[in-house]
Amino acid sequence: MGSIIRLKSLTKKYKIGGEVITALNNVNLEIAQGEFICILGTSGSGKTTLLNITAGLERPTKGSVIINGVELSKVKEKDMAVFRRKYMGFIFQSYNLIPSLTALENATLPLIFSGVGIKERNKRAKELLVELGLGNRLFNKPTQMSGGQQQRVAIARALINNPEIIFADEPTGNLDSKTTNEIMELLIKLVKEKNRTLIMVTHDLELAQYADRVVHMVDGEVKKISVREETDYA
Amino acid sequence: MNKLDLLRLANKNLWRRKGRTILTMIGVFIGTSSIVIMLSLGIGIKENQRRDLERWGSLNIIRVYSGVRFDDQGNPLGEANQLDDNAVNEIKQMEGVVGVSPAYEFGGEASWGRKRGYIQLIGVDPSQLENLEVSISEGRLFTPTDRYCIVVGSQVINNFMDERAMRRGIYIPPTNTDPKEMLNQRIAVTVQNSWGEKGQKKVFNFQVVGIMDEKNMERSMEAYASIEDIKKMRDFMLKVSNNYPQQGIMAGGRNSNSQARKSSQKQEENYSFIIVRTKDVAYTKKVSQALRDAGYNAYSIADALEGIEQSSKIIQAIFGGIGGITLLVAAIGITNTMVMSIYERTREIGIMKVIGASFADIRTMFLAEAGLIGFMGGGAGLLFSYLASYFINKLAVNYINMGMPMEEGAVKISIISPWLALFAIGFSILIGLISGLYPANRAIKLSPIKAIRNE
Repeated sequence: MGSIIRLKSLTKKYKIGGEVITALNNVNLEIAQGEFICILGTSGSGKTTLLNITAGLERPTKGSVIINGVELSKVKEKDMAVFRRKYMGFIFQSYNLIPSLTALENATLPLIFSGVGIKERNKRAKELLVELGLGNRLFNKPTQMSGGQQQRVAIARALINNPEIIFADEPTGNLDSKTTNEIMELLIKLVKEKNRTLIMVTHDLELAQYADRVVHMVDGEVKKISVREETDYA
Repeated sequence: MNKLDLLRLANKNLWRRKGRTILTMIGVFIGTSSIVIMLSLGIGIKENQRRDLERWGSLNIIRVYSGVRFDDQGNPLGEANQLDDNAVNEIKQMEGVVGVSPAYEFGGEASWGRKRGYIQLIGVDPSQLENLEVSISEGRLFTPTDRYCIVVGSQVINNFMDERAMRRGIYIPPTNTDPKEMLNQRIAVTVQNSWGEKGQKKVFNFQVVGIMDEKNMERSMEAYASIEDIKKMRDFMLKVSNNYPQQGIMAGGRNSNSQARKSSQKQEENYSFIIVRTKDVAYTKKVSQALRDAGYNAYSIADALEGIEQSSKIIQAIFGGIGGITLLVAAIGITNTMVMSIYERTREIGIMKVIGASFADIRTMFLAEAGLIGFMGGGAGLLFSYLASYFINKLAVNYINMGMPMEEGAVKISIISPWLALFAIGFSILIGLISGLYPANRAIKLSPIKAIRNE
């Protein structure tokens, strides 16, 4: 199985005031198709920056990101939308649903931008939401749903385009431990089922147990990469 | 992104902030209403002036006289064109001309039974009568085979007065007479020439076969006859005795005598004027200009339109300008609303970008919202304008229509033409779109990562 993501000597520096802060320092990483990678680190370790750069949301100061053989720095900002639509799905800590839209509409939003017709859209979203246990919440607005429910809508939204890679930034950060486990299990089940690549950022050691590999970040550098042997989540 | 989805999403977003959206729309509503009402008044004024003109005569009729044109210094430019058959044929060929008739004009004393008076006879080609917009309220038109038949204008009757009553000093004001009284009456016109010492007299009898309707005031004092008959009258009148070559003597010499004879002969063959009927007002102007350029004198009621149109354009510009300022203020309101909306939705825009909304999607979404504000505000403004226009006209009727002939119908001082309505809707959408450009471009420039971080 070839690498779907290749990170080559990624460096990211920010200027805050007169001070230059190195958020990432020479990060190299290869991620295979279907792999679940957890990027683990404390706040300020550069884990979110790594995720953002990998997803093309930020540009590295140095180094390159190659996704499916395409070098991201060569893709214009204008064309990134299409690229993201095709290859990437996102899950955020704060769900980031559009408050004015129902669960169904939120889940279908990427398809709306892809120009998929309303029938096809709704069919796919309904299937996915039912699978996520939200069959009775299709027409609820985000404010009428619990955190766990909202995050499930967000997962549906991230998966609906069948993207190769799912990026998740502290997906359970706002959830209690019971819901966290539910969500994690759902997410992993869906991702493995479809052989998608999942990159999750977290500071939670327990969550890292779910991952195939854990990338430990400290002060912008990869400290170590640990591989998990057993597959008891399946 | 599908257009329908886009509109639906924009519409949804718009109503998230009902109060603000409605207030912004009210701005556009007021702007559109003021433009439409102002312009409708402008159109109304123009239409009324035009109607006033049309009461005087058709805007499609040109009278062509021979004439010399002068340059700036007052020097004649070439010779006057002759109004002969060549001229008639030439005019017939012109674009937009639907009817042409040469005309002889003859004015003279006439008697009708015991009444005496004056009659202005115009001889035209009988086959062209209808083409020249000669229309009848009573009786019929004369045909090419009719001899000495005339149709008279509605006011001709007032030129005749009872001879005996006049002699007795009783003066009956010639008003409120029914023009129908003249129908099938005989009018005797006496013509005198300067043949011989005393000259000759001849009486021509005309039968009134029709009364012209009141459409054209211009023609109400005129009577129309076949050109053949009027030519005979003129020929008789212009017959000058060979023994009495007046013009030759006055010119003072034998040589010039023959020349004067020639020119007077030539003059005889020339028509008094040529009547031209055009397809519409636009052609009336064009043809008039072409005729003037060709060296004729051309007169039409439409000439006066030019000045009226000029002044109504100025009025419309002023009215439109006042409305325009209101709409400009409304446009700034739209921009303001959209900028605020983008501030509020920064995060949402970021999310949309992250989940695959392209620049074009974001831009069109915000433009659609701004355009919708324009469209809804403009639509409501237009509806209100129709209502306002209706009431303005209703109120104005009491003041303006006083003393107007009944059959003229209600005078409208506010007219919303279909074009104005279309323009209003189109313009308000355009204003919305233009106002949305700046906010939409701002939305595009938002970095998705910053937008997401904004919590």
